[in-house]
Amino acid sequence: MMNTHALFQYIISTPLTWLILTLLSFKVGIIIYEKMNKNSFFQPIIIAYVLIIGLIFMSNTKYEDYFESVKIIHFFLGPATVALALPLYNNLKYIKSLFVPIMITLFAAGTFSIVVSLYLLWIFDAKLSTILSMATKSVTAPIAIITSEQIGAIPSLAVGFVLITGIIGALFGNMIFKIMKIQHETSKGFALGLISHAIGTARAIEISEKAAAFSALAMGLSGIVIAIILPIVIVYFN
Amino acid sequence: MLKGIITLLVFQFLGECIAILFSLIVPGAVIGMILMLLFLIIRKKSFKSLDTAVFLHLRYLPMILIPAAMGVITQFDIISKEFWAILISLVFGTIIALAFSAKFMDVLTNLRQKL
Repeated sequence: MMNTHALFQYIISTPLTWLILTLLSFKVGIIIYEKMNKNSFFQPIIIAYVLIIGLIFMSNTKYEDYFESVKIIHFFLGPATVALALPLYNNLKYIKSLFVPIMITLFAAGTFSIVVSLYLLWIFDAKLSTILSMATKSVTAPIAIITSEQIGAIPSLAVGFVLITGIIGALFGNMIFKIMKIQHETSKGFALGLISHAIGTARAIEISEKAAAFSALAMGLSGIVIAIILPIVIVYFN
Repeated sequence: MLKGIITLLVFQFLGECIAILFSLIVPGAVIGMILMLLFLIIRKKSFKSLDTAVFLHLRYLPMILIPAAMGVITQFDIISKEFWAILISLVFGTIIALAFSAKFMDVLTNLRQKL
């Protein structure tokens, strides 16, 4: 006689089930993304998101149980954040060519961007935890997750905001640059990386190699600056 | 590639240690990132196995975000209550910020070239 009960128990209790389903969903996401000619709307993670949410609801799984199964993937967030130092280092040589414009834009436009989106939430009476989760929207996702944990925001909301911000920037970037009559490729790249992080950088690659380098530079620098300054500002106001 | 992975883990470890030792509120992994950046600047170049380890981590970075990102299923309440505020902030906030940043950088670049 086959022990179907024991088999069922194994399937619902082993972390392998959700691990395999998560990796598989992401793989499906990559395949669809490539089939759609890498359209920003079809980011692999968005497709994986939708698939896994469906599976979680169908199986009536609690988020805590899901997270427990896949926390080995979550572990890599730390080393991946450290890994960001290499592309930043590789593009650091461009900083010298436009040092003053880069530094002023980094601080002025970086602050402006955060203030505008927080202000928009505030005038619409959003809750404090939502407002705090919006503060990291332009930061590359791994840094956004660990920084939002640090400042008492909701990391999962923060990642959602990061992804949507990236997609909006990638979709409207070229149109905005045309309307604003932006002359330099370096300005376009820097703005894309500063506001729309990695998704913006993927779009900047289509403008030119130099735009992509400036985008990666902006993404790395703003990630570091925001991760340092934001927790200090929040603690000060508390 | 093992050497590269060890390098990443050691820098993260050092970053976390520094954050704890000095009670810093900056995330330890970000301090680790800064330390590795300094290491690369001093060393003046990367090495093969570090390149490979970094490539692997960054290639699958979006996948690494999934466990944290899925937490959104516990937030449907907030999202449905504050849907319009969030949507307006995301769409207009991003468009305004992108326009401002690009123009700002463009004007400064022109100014610098005139000097």
